[in-house]
Amino acid sequence: MSRLTIWVVLGLTLTFLIGPFIIIIFAGASAGESLAFPPHGLSLRWYLKVFTIESFRASFLLSLFLAIFGTISALLIGIPAAYALNRYKLPGDETIRMIVSAPIIVPGIIVGLALLRYLVVPLDFTVTLALFLAHTALVLPYAVRVVSSSLQNLRADMEEAAVLLGCTRLQAFTKIVLPNIRGGVLAAFILGFVTSFNQVPVSLFLSGPGVKTLPIDMLAYMEMTYDPSVAALSALLAFMSLAIVFTAERLLGFSRYV
Amino acid sequence: MFLSTKEGLALALPAAIFSFLLFLVPVGILLSEAFKSDVGWTISGYTEFFSKPLNRTVFFRTLKLGVLVAGTSAIIGYAAAFCIVNLPPKSRGRIFGLVILPLMISPVARTYAWIVILGRTGIVNDTIVGLGLSDTPIRLLFTETAVFLGLLQLFMPLMIISLVSAMENIPRDVIPAARVLGASWFQVFFRVILPLTKEGLVIGGTLVFTGALTAYITPAILGGSKVLMLETLLYQKVNVSNDFVSASVIAMILIVMSFSANLLLKRIATARV
Amino acid sequence: MSEAFVSLSNLTLSYGSTVAVPNLDLDIREGELIALLGPSGCGKTTTMRAIAGLLTPTTGNIVIDGRDVTRLAANKRGIGLVFQSYALFPHLSAFENVAFGLRLQKLEDHDIRARTDAGMATVGLSGFEARKPAEMSGGQQQRLALARSLVMQPKVLLLDEPLSNLDARLRLEMRTELQRVQKDTGVTMVFVTHDQSEALALADRIVLMKDGEIVQLGTPAQLYSEPATAFAADFMGFENIFRVEAGRLVSDIGSLPMGYSTESKMLAWRPGGVVVGDGPHKARVLASSFAGGHREYVLESQLGPIKADAPIESAEVALGDPVVFDLPQATARPLAP
Repeated sequence: MSRLTIWVVLGLTLTFLIGPFIIIIFAGASAGESLAFPPHGLSLRWYLKVFTIESFRASFLLSLFLAIFGTISALLIGIPAAYALNRYKLPGDETIRMIVSAPIIVPGIIVGLALLRYLVVPLDFTVTLALFLAHTALVLPYAVRVVSSSLQNLRADMEEAAVLLGCTRLQAFTKIVLPNIRGGVLAAFILGFVTSFNQVPVSLFLSGPGVKTLPIDMLAYMEMTYDPSVAALSALLAFMSLAIVFTAERLLGFSRYV
Repeated sequence: MFLSTKEGLALALPAAIFSFLLFLVPVGILLSEAFKSDVGWTISGYTEFFSKPLNRTVFFRTLKLGVLVAGTSAIIGYAAAFCIVNLPPKSRGRIFGLVILPLMISPVARTYAWIVILGRTGIVNDTIVGLGLSDTPIRLLFTETAVFLGLLQLFMPLMIISLVSAMENIPRDVIPAARVLGASWFQVFFRVILPLTKEGLVIGGTLVFTGALTAYITPAILGGSKVLMLETLLYQKVNVSNDFVSASVIAMILIVMSFSANLLLKRIATARV
Repeated sequence: MSEAFVSLSNLTLSYGSTVAVPNLDLDIREGELIALLGPSGCGKTTTMRAIAGLLTPTTGNIVIDGRDVTRLAANKRGIGLVFQSYALFPHLSAFENVAFGLRLQKLEDHDIRARTDAGMATVGLSGFEARKPAEMSGGQQQRLALARSLVMQPKVLLLDEPLSNLDARLRLEMRTELQRVQKDTGVTMVFVTHDQSEALALADRIVLMKDGEIVQLGTPAQLYSEPATAFAADFMGFENIFRVEAGRLVSDIGSLPMGYSTESKMLAWRPGGVVVGDGPHKARVLASSFAGGHREYVLESQLGPIKADAPIESAEVALGDPVVFDLPQATARPLAP
C-alpha cells in the first residue's frame, strides 16, 4: 500500500469527520450578523455573547451537577458490581451483566419516555431528582464496563498475596485493588461525565420548564436563533469535551481503558 | 479464595437492582403498552400503525437510511482501518485518536456544523452558485441526503474502531503470504481480510445500524418534520399528539429492528466460511 | 549473466530514510541452496523481501530467470516464500491453505485436488486435509507452509529462518526434509538465518552479511576454515581473536609473548584449537562446563577470557585452579583486520 494512497484515504476520511468542527469554530467567530462560512470578518463577540445568556448559565450548572454527581453515584454502585462480576463466580452473572448494560442498547427516547410516564409522574419526583436518577442509570453501564476491563488487567493473585501477608479483605481491596484500578476509575469517570453531559434523548423528556440540561437548552435556542452565537456555543461545548479528554489522556493514557 | 457467593451477590446486586427498577421496569411497561387496548392484549396497535401510509414511509425510510449508513461506513471504514493499521506506530496512535475524537463531542455540536455547510447560505451552496452550476441555492437541508451525511459522520468512527481492532488481530505476514501466492489486492480483501475480520464487521455494523435507527438529534435538526425518522416520529407522537399507543408501537419496532439486525449480522458472519 | 539464475545488481534497499542495504551485488545459480547469514539487522531479511517483491529497491535491479522483476508486483513474480511465522490462513483448512494459490489461478477443480494432494504427500501431511492450522503442531505447520509454496512450482523458494522455531530433533528432521525437497524438485532455494551451524549444514554456498554488505561469499568449508575478516571469524565460531603487535598477542586487556612469528596482523583460534594443560602461558579457570564429548573452559589470562575446549579424556581442572595453556601456530587462523 503506497504511502500516498494511505494519506489520501485518511486525509479524506478525517476531513469528513473533523472538517465540520473547524467550520463551526470559524463560523462562530464571525464578525457579521448571520451564520456563514467563510465568516465575514473575525470577531469573538458571539463567543462572548454565549456567556451572557442567562438560561445557559443555569442549564450549564445543572448539566455539570448531573455529570459529576450522576457519575459518582454510578461509580459507587458500579465499582463493587464490577469487582463482584470479575472476581466471583456468580450464579446468573450473565443476566446481571445484561441488566446493567441494557441502557446502552435501548434507544434514549424510549428510556426517557418510560421513566417519565411510569416513574416520575406516578411517584411525583422532582425534575432534578428524576434527571439525577436517569443519568446515574445511563452512566452505570460504562462505569461497570471500564472498571471491569481495568480489573481484568489486574491479576487476582495480588490480592491473595496480600491476604497471606496479613491483610483483611477490605484492606486488600483498598491497598491493592483500588490504587491499581485508579486509572480505570478515572477513565470511567471521564467517560461517564462526557456521556452524561452530552446526553439528549432522556433529558429531553425529563426536563421541565426552568429545569433544563444544557444540550436541551441549546436545542431550543437553535430553533429560534440563526445567528453565529449558536455556532459559537457548539464550538465551546466541543472544546470543553475535548479539553477534558485531552487532560485525561495526558494524565493517564486514557485510551488504554476504553 | 473468594468463594462466597453471598458476598459477591451483595456487591453486585445494588447495581443490578437499581438498573432493573429504574430502567427495565419502566421500559418494559412502556413496551407492553404497544399490545394493549381497551379490550385487553392485541396487536391492533401495530396494524393501525402500519395502515397509515405516512408511518409506512417513515418506517421504510428509517430502515433504508440505517442500511445505507451501515453499508457506507463499512466500505469507508475498511479503507480507513486498513490504512491506519499500516501506519508506523507513532502516527497510528495519533490518527486513531483523531478518528475517535468526534465521539467525545456532543451530537448537537456535530450535527449543527452541517447546517453551516448545507444551508442556503452555506459552503456547498455558495460554491455551487459561485461556479454558476445553478442560479439559486439548492435545498440541501431537510433532505434524506442531509440526514444520511449527518448520521454517517456521527457513527463512522464506531465502525472504524471496530474494524481497526479486528484487523490488528490478523496474524502478521498473512497478507504478504497471500500476495506472494499470487493474490491481487481485490482477492486479498475478499479471501483473507474479510473472513478474518468478520466479527469486527458484525460489531461495527450493529453499532452503526442501531445508532442510525435510534438517533434523535441528527434527524431532528437536519430532517425536521420533512424527513421524519422513527425516533422523531415517536417524539412527535408523544409531545404533539399524546398518542402513547403509537409511541409504544414505534419503540417496540425499534427494539425489534435492533435485535434482528444483530442476529442477522451474526448469522451472516458465522455462515460464510 | 548466463550462469546466474537470480541476479541482484546495485541493489539499494531502504526503510523510509534509513538505508538497510547500500549497494548489493549477488548472483545465485540455478538449483543451488544458498544461505544469507548474519546477525540481526544485517540486511538478510530485507534482501529476501526485496527478491519476493515485498520491498521496492531504491536503486538497482533484480533479474530472475532472465526477466527483470524489479518493478513487478509481489503477486506476479512466481516466487515462493515460507515466512518465519508460517503465516498460515487461520480461517482455512490445511487443504485449503495449500490450495490457496492454485485456486487463485482458476484451475480445474480436479487439477487443484490432484496437485494439492500431491503437495501434502510430499511433506508427509496426507490425512491432515481437514485440520485447521491451530490444530497442528509447530513442525506440521511449517511443513504445511512449505507445501503451500511448493505446489505453486516457484522458480525460487525463499525461506525465512526455517529452523529457528524448532526444537533440536525437529530441526534435524526439517533439515533433512529441505535437502530432500531440493534434490527432488531442483528448485533454487534461498534461506535466511542467523545461525551459522544451520548455514553450514544446509547450504551449498553462504553469503555472510553485516550492515547491509557482503562480508564473505563462499562454500561452508571456506567460511568455516578460512574466514576472511575478524567479524567473519567471530561469527563462524572463532571465539579467541587477537591482534599481533611487535611479536606479541595483544587484546584490549593485556598481551602475551608469542613463540613464533607471523606476517598477519590478527590471529584467531577456535576453542578446540587452544591447548589446555600444556604450554607457556598461565591462566586460572573461570568457568567450566561439561558438553558431552568435551569440556568447555573459560580461562582467565593476561589476554582476558579465553574459551578453550578440552577433550573429555584429559584431567579436569577445577574452578578457580591455575592451569597452563597454549595458542599454537598450527591451529591459528590468520585474518585481515
